[in-house]
Amino acid sequence: MAALLELKDVDKFFGGVHAVQNMSFALSEKEVVGLIGPNGAGKTTVFNVITGVYSPDRGRIFFDGEDISVLKTYQVIRRGIARTFQNLRLFPRSSVLENVMTATQQHEAYSFLEAVSHFGRWRTKETFIRDQSMELLSRVGLADRALQPAGTLPYGYQRRLEIARALALEPRLLLLDEPAAGMNPEEVLGLNELIQTIHREFQLAILVIEHHMDLVMEICPRIICMNFGAKIAEGTPEEIQNNPEVLKAYLGEEDEE
Amino acid sequence: MRSSVATFLQQVINGLSLGSVYALIAVGYSLVYSILLFSNFAHGGFLVIGGYICYVALKTMGLNIWMASLLSLVGAGIAAVLTERIAYKPIRERTNVTLYLLIASMGMSIVIENIFVIVAGGRFRALPPVIPTHPVQIFNIATTSAFDLLSFVVALVALGCLQLFLSRTKWGLAIRAAACDLRTAGLMGVNVNLLIAIVFFTAGALAAIGGIFLSVRYTLYPQLGVITIKAFVAAVIGGLGSLPGAVVGSLILGLAEMLAAGFISSQMRDLVVFSLLVITLLIKPTGLFGKQMSEKI
Amino acid sequence: MSGYTEGIITLLCINAIAAMGVSLLTGFTGIFTLGHAAYMALGAYTSAILTVQYGIHWLPAVLLGGGVAVIVAYGIGVPTLRLMGDYFAIASIGLGEAIRLILENWQSLTRGARGYPGIEPYTTLPVALSFFVIMGLCMFNLINSHYGRSFKACRDDYMAASLLGFHTARLRVLSLVISAFYCGVAGALLAGFLSFIQPIMFDMLKSTELTAVVVFGGLGSMVGTLVGTLIITLVTELFRPISQYRMLIYGAVLVIIMVLRPEGIMGGLDGRWLAKKVFRRKDHGGTA
Repeated sequence: MAALLELKDVDKFFGGVHAVQNMSFALSEKEVVGLIGPNGAGKTTVFNVITGVYSPDRGRIFFDGEDISVLKTYQVIRRGIARTFQNLRLFPRSSVLENVMTATQQHEAYSFLEAVSHFGRWRTKETFIRDQSMELLSRVGLADRALQPAGTLPYGYQRRLEIARALALEPRLLLLDEPAAGMNPEEVLGLNELIQTIHREFQLAILVIEHHMDLVMEICPRIICMNFGAKIAEGTPEEIQNNPEVLKAYLGEEDEE
Repeated sequence: MRSSVATFLQQVINGLSLGSVYALIAVGYSLVYSILLFSNFAHGGFLVIGGYICYVALKTMGLNIWMASLLSLVGAGIAAVLTERIAYKPIRERTNVTLYLLIASMGMSIVIENIFVIVAGGRFRALPPVIPTHPVQIFNIATTSAFDLLSFVVALVALGCLQLFLSRTKWGLAIRAAACDLRTAGLMGVNVNLLIAIVFFTAGALAAIGGIFLSVRYTLYPQLGVITIKAFVAAVIGGLGSLPGAVVGSLILGLAEMLAAGFISSQMRDLVVFSLLVITLLIKPTGLFGKQMSEKI
Repeated sequence: MSGYTEGIITLLCINAIAAMGVSLLTGFTGIFTLGHAAYMALGAYTSAILTVQYGIHWLPAVLLGGGVAVIVAYGIGVPTLRLMGDYFAIASIGLGEAIRLILENWQSLTRGARGYPGIEPYTTLPVALSFFVIMGLCMFNLINSHYGRSFKACRDDYMAASLLGFHTARLRVLSLVISAFYCGVAGALLAGFLSFIQPIMFDMLKSTELTAVVVFGGLGSMVGTLVGTLIITLVTELFRPISQYRMLIYGAVLVIIMVLRPEGIMGGLDGRWLAKKVFRRKDHGGTA
């Protein structure tokens, strides 16, 4: 099966720091892959390079066969990649619904003239955007909170909202950056279920950065482990769990007594 | 060709003199910016206050120039601290929105200027001629006035004292620390409010010196503070928040202004100032010595 | 209706149009400007020159006034949009003053600092009201469309917006250009109201007034902007008889508002959060 996303020998430097070293991996359509590694391993940088926030100093990134290495962020997103953030980047003052509508509207444009006059397609498109967004919200269980300011939601629901907003972009690849960060075990279980549901219902590829090992091992048939910017292991959950390099990265070397 | 070189030298000297006065104003301005991260547009007001106190001291109280200057410095310094207490402190304690401080500073600038319009009238006043202004020959090539030399020297001395204060005293150290990170400085036991008061006092005092020299140069009137915008441009060119930058930027600006006045036309002076500003912002917005600040994504 | 009241309402309409433009840029797109009076100046002088020297009818002249403001905004303002936060504001001051100085010194075109007299008083009450209503409606419609959401996304989180597929740079340009048009038209209408314009009318003081009105009304609220314009215009007109104290009071009012209620009239919780999020002083020494 042809790869949906492919990174070839990607390097990224920040001054003297070699944040991403020689990174190569591929992701197929509808695959769920986990990206793990200690803090500072370069995982989020990989996301940022894929989405065009940074351009790679060396190497290439291919999406659906197209070289997206030097594309600007909005161009990458419009080709079907969406991402969520480690630190949540909702629009807290806007309502839950508005947050999603901001994403849904990407596919339902109308002209400036129609916007200014409220004639033409304005009404039909706006109604469609609203309905579509509400539908998405009900699929993630947030429909009853649609008009609340996003910033007033409980933390777990804010994370859900961010995922819903990303889904509203109708992506083929979803990049989740630590979606379970700050969640208690019960919320993590709920997230687990949500991601699996999304995968099933939306038929998209998912690349997940996570530190909650139970979540990653459960939902990702394939896992990539990074340390100090380089890929140190790749394989099934069992292979990763028993990989000495991975253990060393997380736990450090054993002292020789 | 001789006259061209002479003009050039003349304007260079003028430029350095003007630039040194700008430096006094720009440094105080940058000092406040480095601590509170906002542009205090009321800074020009301190300048004007300094000028008027000096004028009154000389004319009405008949003091000598030294006493008058001292009074002027202290007066302007106190006015600066008061401005901070009245207008800025309440705002910065409630929010950390620089926009509000900015608008408040515009408001204070208008208030100060108009207090003088009402109280002192809009007339242009000349300071009693206690500061020498007679011509002085330089190497038989160009003439300058004693005034230019004096303002340059005084500015040098004042800035030198400031440098000593910042590098050798405890409060100087505190100010430098606060310029890096105000909140942390507070957590390290620095009395932040007192520190800010000291900074404003210093800025006001420096502005007062500049004000005295500018009143001699351009005569004294309530709107004299408008010239602060040039000091502002100088501070930006040098890098907002950087004191050496403010000095360098001021000298560059003074030179550019004077050379433009000498070789192009007098009207182009101001245009050159703002063109330099826009050019700096387009090429290197953080200025010559400014620090970059980036966000972690 | 007396001539005086008519005049006040006309002035209100003119100020409101300019304020709406600045509000779109500052309150809705998060770009803080201190130089928009320059766009008013460009509109005013364009219209004045076209009607007086070339005998063009005022309607196309006013629109062309807006057009010239748009062209200048696009040409010079756009490169400065790359600058974030404070630096754009500083650039706007520089541009604003530079434009004013050019107008003052280009004597052959603008008659310089003495001013440009003899402009046909085409801004009657019906004219001002019509412009206000039409442009106001367009602005409110725009806010309630996908453009409104897009601008707000750029304002709230620039990075997140681009990661939602927004071409943030282009949106900022659009916002700047629209705001310039509104200010340009307002300036052109002002020329036709006062029959006399001077560059000094469009200095940094005027620019600050525009921004202050928007802040006073509440950032992110177009209704607030209109209310703010109403109050500030009325207050300034009321104090005109005691003009000596007028400016002093105006300055004091600015300070008092910022100290007591910076989030503005319609601000409430919205305005406070918004201002904090968008215009906060970044804690230096830490990550944003």
